[in-house]
Amino acid sequence: MVDSPEQDRVESGDYSDREDADRDGFGPSTVQDDVILELKNLRTYFQTSYGTVKAVDGVSYHVKRGETLGVVGESGSGKSVTALSIMRLIPSPPGYIVGGEVILDGQNVLDLSDNEMAKIRGSKVGMILQDPMTALNPVFNIENQVGEAIRIHQNLKGQSLVDKIIHSLRQVRIPAAESRMKDFPHQLSGGMRQRVVGAISISCAPIVLIADEPTTALDVTIQAGYLRLLKEIQAETGVGIIFITHDFGIVAKMCDRVAVMYAGRIVETGDVRQIFNEPSHPYSEALLASVPKLEERTQRLYSIEGQPPPLFDLPPGCPFAPRCEYAQDVCRDVYPVRSEIDENHTASCWKLLDFDISKADPEELAAAQSVSVTAVAEEQLQEAEAVAD
Amino acid sequence: MTTIQEQIQQKEGIRPLDVNAEIILETRGLAKHFELAGGFLGFGNKPTLKAVDGIDVIVRAGETVGLVGESGCGKSTTAKLLLGLEKPTAGQIFFKGEDFTKMSRAAKRDYRKNVQAVFQDPWSSLNPRMRVKSIVAEPLQIVTKMTKGEIGTRVSEVLEEVGLNAYQANLYPHEFSGGQRQRIGVARALALNPEVMILDEPVSALDVSIRAQILNLLVDLQKEHNLAYLMIAHNLATVRYMCHTTAVMYLGGIKEIGDSEPIFSNPLHPYTQALISAALPSHPDIEREEIILPGEVPSPVDPPSGCTFNPRCPVKIGDVCEQWAPGLTEEETSHWVSCHLYGDAKERFDAGEAIPAAAVEDDA
Ligand SMILES: Nc1ncnc2c1ncn2[C@@H]1O[C@H](COP(=O)(O)OP(=O)(O)OP(=O)(O)O)[C@@H](O)[C@H]1O
Ligand SMILES: Nc1ncnc2c1ncn2[C@@H]1O[C@H](COP(=O)(O)OP(=O)(O)O)[C@@H](O)[C@H]1O
Ligand code: SF4
Ligand code: SF4
Ligand SMILES: [Mg+2]
Ligand SMILES: [Mg+2]
Repeated sequence: MVDSPEQDRVESGDYSDREDADRDGFGPSTVQDDVILELKNLRTYFQTSYGTVKAVDGVSYHVKRGETLGVVGESGSGKSVTALSIMRLIPSPPGYIVGGEVILDGQNVLDLSDNEMAKIRGSKVGMILQDPMTALNPVFNIENQVGEAIRIHQNLKGQSLVDKIIHSLRQVRIPAAESRMKDFPHQLSGGMRQRVVGAISISCAPIVLIADEPTTALDVTIQAGYLRLLKEIQAETGVGIIFITHDFGIVAKMCDRVAVMYAGRIVETGDVRQIFNEPSHPYSEALLASVPKLEERTQRLYSIEGQPPPLFDLPPGCPFAPRCEYAQDVCRDVYPVRSEIDENHTASCWKLLDFDISKADPEELAAAQSVSVTAVAEEQLQEAEAVAD
Repeated sequence: MTTIQEQIQQKEGIRPLDVNAEIILETRGLAKHFELAGGFLGFGNKPTLKAVDGIDVIVRAGETVGLVGESGCGKSTTAKLLLGLEKPTAGQIFFKGEDFTKMSRAAKRDYRKNVQAVFQDPWSSLNPRMRVKSIVAEPLQIVTKMTKGEIGTRVSEVLEEVGLNAYQANLYPHEFSGGQRQRIGVARALALNPEVMILDEPVSALDVSIRAQILNLLVDLQKEHNLAYLMIAHNLATVRYMCHTTAVMYLGGIKEIGDSEPIFSNPLHPYTQALISAALPSHPDIEREEIILPGEVPSPVDPPSGCTFNPRCPVKIGDVCEQWAPGLTEEETSHWVSCHLYGDAKERFDAGEAIPAAAVEDDA
């Protein structure tokens, strides 16, 4: 840490290079064109009877062409709401995107009209969900459902549409696609159904694919086959993948980079090897120490006690503090600033600054607090609600 | 401030297996075939589904035996047979050496008291309209003649043992998180002071961050009470962490069984090898050569003849695999495998020896 650029900045007090060089902690995106999706300070809140649920509270990450970003974190940490926000599929009310930007292929999708957004959904960005049954309609056969997805975005009919359907099914390695496409969802195995959902999501050659725990319900060997398939499709098409999961095994196998989410925020980002070799946020460290290994017998797992805080009543400081082995007073009072551990590797934790608030960059400190200082956000929320009414 | 790594080192995992410990539970040739509706106009043979097809397992005091295998291979049916929730089609279950079917009523009641279960889904396995204390007290009320006061004391005891507070006894299941609900399930199973617990995927439905809480609780309870566990899981790494003994199931049969360490470090059966090769790595630098199995698991209604794995086996050695069902051979100490790659069945088959397909016992 001693030689890290962050340390240099802290010591020299020179932060001039900070803002545009390192927008989301993943380091400067050198080839701007390669970034196909970028979230900047995204905030999505739900207005509920028990309070404002800050499901996504200042999330920034980006995905480049041909790479896979893993988003990990326990259930309820805001992974899916982030994904649904990108797709602009947040049910509203009660949900509102109250801040930030979602830049897809150079364009902020939050500025688009509903019609424009509908065109992008499924064509530029596709999504695969955990439960294939909910994504498929039981009363239509596979041909109809894949065909419908293609027809929305491409003007194909007759034989050329059928050809395209068969092509998409072959792309997800469905054997005997010509005959299997006459099947209804219940006639297929779980793994096959998930492949059909995959076929629908990639049928229009999206540039970004969001996979939200697509293999949780599948058996080991079927899961392995599906992951292999995603990698092959990525190699063929260069699609950028956001892989949402709570399984570090999937991250190890599939991802180039990782964003660890906790209570609506990204707490650590880095290359996959940085995260595994040197987890720097106590939550990442704890998560990794709580999963058993297959390759050698783990003597004793670490168990993270307690549960995450309710997102409608977040503590002022670090939301992980009540469960953290290392927590000090400062943690409970002040939201930790982001520190750079290494190139492209950052984490938001006071431990990395020796629990010394004076070591924090004042601007970063202010920024970290304002994420949740909701004066602005509350105002936007009220505005959004007023518009909705 | 202790670090996470220090914390882990201060605590112990499972205790090594005592091979001389008493055998608590044993199955011999245990089978469950389901008669399915069908057949021609109700005549003729109804199709039977061979969910469990002759398995032999031994569980000792203080031991955890893990059952692994893909969906539908018969793990939960085995659990139901052991819990007396299904009646075996064939084979026997012994409790401390006594055959269950030959037990007196009183002994059967004692069996049910001693063999308890924790199920996968803590959301649906607890009655939502009952307070936690009633949920935990219920088995005590049904099975024992304890007084109200005694039951109350026992309930507080077990709730404390699983890490719940006294005040939580008055709450309803929906007021708990998934992990806490699974603790309630464990408390309920523990209340009768059983000798065996059948754990059917006890952490699969839980979030990763709380799985370790429950696994460690089970490890500690086992050491405290010398409990025998039969644990069903499909996560291989979890089995390696928890289980002294591992049994790999495929289509209702055990393909490989023995001490967990050799099974994971030196799997002998081609199916076990494929399963392990497909499991997710624990680090990005680990790249396993994946053994890809052709096709899907065949229907248990019409399982393949001979070795049931033969249509998908990448190293099938010939007709012997299609015609002779391999028995379990002890290939190395405490490590049995059911496959003709081991033993001399192939030579005997090629020499034209006629052996009934059902029972080929290899001499290794
Ligand atoms: N009551 C029943 N009637 C008919 N078939 C049944 C019955 N119960 C189970 N089966 C069948 O028996 C086989 C084994 O089922 P079982 O529930 O034991 O599988 P499992 O190994 O526990 O799978 P999973 O990992 O999905 O829980 C399956 O083919 C199943 O469909
Ligand atoms: N429609 C909704 N109304 C209210 N709260 C919601 C809604 N959808 C999601 N949330 C809340 O947002 C938070 C993040 O959820 P989610 O993104 O689904 O988590 P995960 O990381 O498991 O995908 C949770 O606290 C969840 O309860
Ligand atoms: S800021 Fe403090 S409480 Fe939060 S993770 Fe770091 S050490 Fe733990
Ligand atoms: S008996 Fe034959 S088919 Fe079966 S696992 Fe062994 S080699 Fe493969
Ligand atoms: Mg989710
Ligand atoms: Mg089951």
